[in-house]
Amino acid sequence: MMRLVLSVALVFVLSIGGGAATVRYALDHLAALEGLTIGPWIAFPDRGSPDADPYSKARFSRKAELPLGPSEGLAFVAGVDSAGAALRRDCSYRIEGKAPAARFWTLHPSAESGTPPEPQAMRWPGLHSMQILRREDDSFEVTASPRPHPGNWLVTGGEGPLSLVFTLYDAPTIRNLDAARVDLPLIYRAGCE
Amino acid sequence: MTRAFHVFLLGLLGAAIVHLAILVLLPVLSERDAWARLAARGDLLRPVRLGPTETDSPVPLDDPFLGGAACRFDLHDHGVLHVTAGSGPPFWSVSIHDRRGYNLASFNDRTVVGGRLDVAVATSAQMADLRRDLPDALARSIFVEVDDPQGIVILRALRPDPTWEPVVETFLASFACRARLP
Repeated sequence: MMRLVLSVALVFVLSIGGGAATVRYALDHLAALEGLTIGPWIAFPDRGSPDADPYSKARFSRKAELPLGPSEGLAFVAGVDSAGAALRRDCSYRIEGKAPAARFWTLHPSAESGTPPEPQAMRWPGLHSMQILRREDDSFEVTASPRPHPGNWLVTGGEGPLSLVFTLYDAPTIRNLDAARVDLPLIYRAGCE
Repeated sequence: MTRAFHVFLLGLLGAAIVHLAILVLLPVLSERDAWARLAARGDLLRPVRLGPTETDSPVPLDDPFLGGAACRFDLHDHGVLHVTAGSGPPFWSVSIHDRRGYNLASFNDRTVVGGRLDVAVATSAQMADLRRDLPDALARSIFVEVDDPQGIVILRALRPDPTWEPVVETFLASFACRARLP
């Protein structure tokens, strides 16, 4: 009798514990499966669409976000540089390359990663395509650093991990393109303090 | 030994069932979703301002260069929804989400006629009524037919630098969600 009760209890513990743990793991760690990965950048074109898979839907419901729709734009997030090392707020990075066709784009450090520095009233923590300097071939170079830099300077600073958000607005074709045919800027580490 | 094997097998089967159940129920049971957060800030049809993550925004808009506003609607409660706004910012976009936050439709200032926001949201039944007798106010609107009567409309506007702030403020203040009969 005692052994039967123990067995039943064990089955329950295995079921509930195992089920909950695997869902948690899948939602926290398997994000890359649904994403569109281009170099260090990852985007989730299906996030927040009714056609998304059940894992994306469950992940989506844990955050109260209302993602950009197909006519609005698409956000790419990078948590690592092009060499695969995690981005840090106390390091400087060179972000270099061309942007895909879009009306405009914005680049900013995600406020949810690490501890951002105090916001400044007259300057937003980010850059957009209408304010940067370009080279003759339309490519650009941005320096993301806690310290001032000549050229295009993206203010980072603060402590902890950094993730960069590169959002393309009014770029309807980006969702249908083959990931291999889209070029996004590369991220190189330029040095740490 | 066979008993231990049975327990393990049953546990595995149970874990699979629990896994699927949690996965399917999570979106349904979520209480801190966008709808709930917006409901805490305003009634149906009342626009609520949204901002970048640092400010006290019910729904985070991550991009520092975009300001936004959102309103909730319930088509069974108040009839057809009519969304309008003025003009001004160099870019704006609007998206319509259902009760769960899934994106149903989206437009930007270049995908609408005349660059003006004028969108009507209706259920299939309301749509049939509208086809029979179209009110003058909706004569130039883009129509979006939805299955779920409840949802959220969100408007985003670009402010390239702080000098654009007054323009974008005026634009977002002109964002209106009105109920139109039927």
